[in-house]
Amino acid sequence: MLARDAENLYWMARYLERAENTARLIIKISDTLLDIPNGASLGWGTLLKVAGLDQLYQEYYDDANENDIMHFLIADERNPGSILACVKFARENTRTLREMLPEDLWERINGLYLYIQNNLQDAAMNRRNKYIFLHNIITQRHAIVGLVASAMEQDLAYHFIKLGRSIERADMTTRIMDINYAISLPEDDPLFEITMQTLWAGILKSLSAFQTYRRLKAFHVNMSEVVDFLFQEKRFPRSVKHCLAEMEACLQSMPQNEKIIETIKTAQVNISKQNTKAMNLSRLHEYIDLSQKYLGNIHQSIDSVYFRADEPTAGLSDQASTQTQTSIVSA
Amino acid sequence: MKISSIEYASIQAYDELLDQHLRPRPVAKPLFDYLSSLDEKELEARRQAVEATIMAMGITFTIYSDAGNIDRAWPFDVVPRVMSRREWEPIQAGLKQRLIALNLFINDLYNKQQIVKDGVFPLEVLKGSANFRPQCVGVTPRFGAWAHICGTDLVRDSDGTMYVLEDNLRVPSGVSYMLENRQIMKRIFPELFRTSTILPVDDYPTQLYNTLAALSPRSGDVPVIVVLTPGIYNSAYFEHSYLAQQMGVYLVEGSDLIVDENDIVYMKNITGLQRVDVIYRRIDDDFLDPEVFNPESALGVNGLMRAWRSGKVAIANAPGAGVADDKVVYTFVPKIIKYYLDQDPILQNVPSYMCMYEDQREYVLKNLDKLVVKPANESGGYGMLIGPRATQAERDQFKELICNNPRNYMAQPTLNISTAPTIIEGQLAPRHLDLRPFVLQSDKLYATTGGLTRVAMRQGSLVVNSSQGGGSKDTWIVEEDL
Repeated sequence: MLARDAENLYWMARYLERAENTARLIIKISDTLLDIPNGASLGWGTLLKVAGLDQLYQEYYDDANENDIMHFLIADERNPGSILACVKFARENTRTLREMLPEDLWERINGLYLYIQNNLQDAAMNRRNKYIFLHNIITQRHAIVGLVASAMEQDLAYHFIKLGRSIERADMTTRIMDINYAISLPEDDPLFEITMQTLWAGILKSLSAFQTYRRLKAFHVNMSEVVDFLFQEKRFPRSVKHCLAEMEACLQSMPQNEKIIETIKTAQVNISKQNTKAMNLSRLHEYIDLSQKYLGNIHQSIDSVYFRADEPTAGLSDQASTQTQTSIVSA
Repeated sequence: MKISSIEYASIQAYDELLDQHLRPRPVAKPLFDYLSSLDEKELEARRQAVEATIMAMGITFTIYSDAGNIDRAWPFDVVPRVMSRREWEPIQAGLKQRLIALNLFINDLYNKQQIVKDGVFPLEVLKGSANFRPQCVGVTPRFGAWAHICGTDLVRDSDGTMYVLEDNLRVPSGVSYMLENRQIMKRIFPELFRTSTILPVDDYPTQLYNTLAALSPRSGDVPVIVVLTPGIYNSAYFEHSYLAQQMGVYLVEGSDLIVDENDIVYMKNITGLQRVDVIYRRIDDDFLDPEVFNPESALGVNGLMRAWRSGKVAIANAPGAGVADDKVVYTFVPKIIKYYLDQDPILQNVPSYMCMYEDQREYVLKNLDKLVVKPANESGGYGMLIGPRATQAERDQFKELICNNPRNYMAQPTLNISTAPTIIEGQLAPRHLDLRPFVLQSDKLYATTGGLTRVAMRQGSLVVNSSQGGGSKDTWIVEEDL
């Protein structure tokens, strides 16, 4: 398989996963705004930091407010992490890959892109429309994942898609978990307990994890249990552990896999050894940052082994900010 | 559906489907019976379904502008162009005859130049050819075939005669639209295919694959074939990807390939390098190899010409094949056929005047208001003068252009190009069209069944190029009910 094609497949999957999770993130933010009591506030600036987009945002906007941020996250093509940009990149990548993907896949992704373009205006109008819009994006993305799962031969192309999807999913799960870090609510507020419960339940719901959490983990929702669940619950498909295991399984049937598997194992060990029991929000934020660095290392090793086999090894990057595919984004 | 008799009365062209009384020709009778069974609403619904299908299938081409690149849906008219098999078969034979002769001609030019020595093809024309590549001299590709894929543009004049307008031997495009047009028609009008015997077109990708595979320098093995594209921002990218997909071969860009010191071409895979045998290139000669041609090219591959010259990779079309894709060379094709094959041309050339010859130039300059003037090396309908429709200032400008560089211009009488009924605002109105069949040559010869019909969607317009507002129709070669 061509190195460039492998890279495009991997990023196509990453971008689609990012688009879906950004939709989830926005739904979660919108819910949070309704859930927090008077006297509490959502730090829009912190929120951007959590999403890894604070620097980029500051380049284009003066202050961090709901309207601008929503536009930035959904429709601003200058933001490579916006839903529109992600789907557009995924579509461009798919176009270069049409000859190796199930025929309907292009039509689906093209359809998702057309849907977003045609409905951006409506979605900007009010919260209800926005919710329907985001929900439809998630549904259409599910159809795409379903098509890949049911119609694509499980060859290398399939594995690159799965690698991209899993690493992005793990990364976005941690970013969504970090949203509550943006909320400031005095601990002596009488509503503190109940609000925090609601907020953590909201995180679970935005990741379609609430039901599973209750079944597998606990009935009551509290931060340390939720964090532990989203990092460590191997049976839940959006948990970090599950995503890493998926990647490892994929790599087992891929060539030249030793170095990458080793990086994944290192990440697994270091992520699991954190104690989530006595964590507060700022400790959690550090923990999430650290996890994102390990995910970044995994990405670097995939990149250097498969996509740049004929180039001298690039140094491992330390940055936790949102990664993007350089060639397509700058084009 | 109503036929716009007003528009039909205003033009004097031959119509492919209707006779002078606006009755369907026998070959189009079943089609019209069917169309008239649909009421206007139904037909409009189908037309919209076609548009939605095109958008959903993402059949697009790209328009470049300062405001960014726009992906436009491929404009498609649902009324097909119909031709009988009886009429088509001699045309097909004529296309093959033409390509055989052109390949003999190209091979001769790069080797002995016998045709020049024998005084049939003038040395000054060869010397003035922008597409003659000295880097190709002395090479004889497999089967003597240089132009493996040829797109020949045909038009019909008012008396019903088919003429060859030009031979596209560099990187002709459009075949994917021919194939997709048929797919769309089958999706939206399945009933039609039950009532008529329409010859299939779908074997093209297989034929193309066989044509390319036969060129492989390594016999016995399954050849590694790639389609070399300039990339996603090329207007024909859709087609490059489509053909690679249909043939099950790799779609590569220049940066995916390297040539090593042994002149072998490899592509960069995830696990290392894999040898490439055949390159179906969709990049112009100029950009193919920065070592030899344009050194600024970022699309090409260093060393590709070395690899090709030493026979370690096949390139289709071969570099330099464009020497015969030149509007001045075109005027010699009937002589070229006679010279190499000792046959009369089956297909007619449009009568042409070459500005390089004084007497013909005189005639052209005096009759600019009646003629179409074309530059030798442009494609896509650019740089042309359509005399009868031009302003005096435009004609004066061309007078100067011709006098400054007579070798670069030829002129033809304005043909009254045929029309076919096309749905325009709920009516069937005549629109001018041409036909581009595709002809393949390596170990065997093949010509498509029909080809791509391109139609000028604007009233009275003769420009069918998609880059300038042209659309297309499905092209049917049918068995006539006798």
